[in-house]
Amino acid sequence: MYRITDQQVDFILDDIRRRGVEMEDLQYNLLDHICCIIEQNLEEGGDFEAYYQQTVAAFYKQQLSEIEEETIRLLTFKNYYGMKKLMMGCGAFSALAFVVGSFFKVMHWPGAGVILGLGFLVFCLMFLPLLFLLKTKESGSGRDRVVLGAATLAGIFYGISMLFQVMHWPGSRIIWLSTLALSAFVLLPLYYFNGIRKPEAKTNTIVTSIILIGVLGMQFTLTALHKKPEPTTQLQAGK
Amino acid sequence: MIFSSELIKGTLKTIVLKLLADNKKMYGYEITQTVKELTKDRIQLTEGALYPTLHALEADGLLTTEVEYIGKRVRKYYSLSPKGKSKAKERVNEFTEFVEAMQSLLDIKPRLA
Repeated sequence: MYRITDQQVDFILDDIRRRGVEMEDLQYNLLDHICCIIEQNLEEGGDFEAYYQQTVAAFYKQQLSEIEEETIRLLTFKNYYGMKKLMMGCGAFSALAFVVGSFFKVMHWPGAGVILGLGFLVFCLMFLPLLFLLKTKESGSGRDRVVLGAATLAGIFYGISMLFQVMHWPGSRIIWLSTLALSAFVLLPLYYFNGIRKPEAKTNTIVTSIILIGVLGMQFTLTALHKKPEPTTQLQAGK
Repeated sequence: MIFSSELIKGTLKTIVLKLLADNKKMYGYEITQTVKELTKDRIQLTEGALYPTLHALEADGLLTTEVEYIGKRVRKYYSLSPKGKSKAKERVNEFTEFVEAMQSLLDIKPRLA
């Protein structure tokens, strides 16, 4: 059985810190664990440093700080199921508010604006951010997260555009055009070039991208680019 | 056969809670070694999965901890809190039912006739 000296303990602890593990609790967990492995398995007079490097390498896939990232992830998302329920509740509420609010609006009943406004607010400020958080937790790569971020932003812009349009607030036109531009020139390229790299998602990406281009094109076509001529002007033109 | 990490990931909390229910207090390395011995090397917990889980269980109030100083080293012992004890029973019962359901689903029950 190998006996680890105090200097070697310091060396291991320093190395754990150097490798990016910042949580003190976790540093000591790993330190004790590594010491136990070395003491149990290394023969007396064995090469400490070589055995240490070999041992610590078995702890991670790419780098030691993965353990800390996973710990933080678990601690942050311990309310994962609660968040999921809240997200579904918010989604259901905003969908209901859209339907009921639109109906009120069509019937010119009072309260339509409040219901729709509330629906849009919950949709943009709670449902979409929660969906983003939960989805980024599930997706592994950084690229996927960027695409999800862009999609969430585009979703929020869609919500704001609709709200401004329905409430007849000034600036609705510029927000709507920005939404279309964001979706067409930022979200779509990000989505396409991210998906096309993955063999399993290639066909789906191409099909979805074509559908998205079609939908965005239709939305752009339906957008009145020129202001309708005033009736008086029309009459004059007709003369 | 060594089981896949996906299978172990879903059962890690149950494994840790059950081990701590059977042994009063344990430290990280001891947990990995006990699991290895009990399963004849078939389940090998990785440090990358064990410590995040221990921290999460502690944050949930299921584990209590005490530290022991060994020279410059600090050894952290984990044991079940009262909440952890009932959770351990709950998780083991849940898993037993899960195994029964999987047996009928995958048709792996020993056939008598």
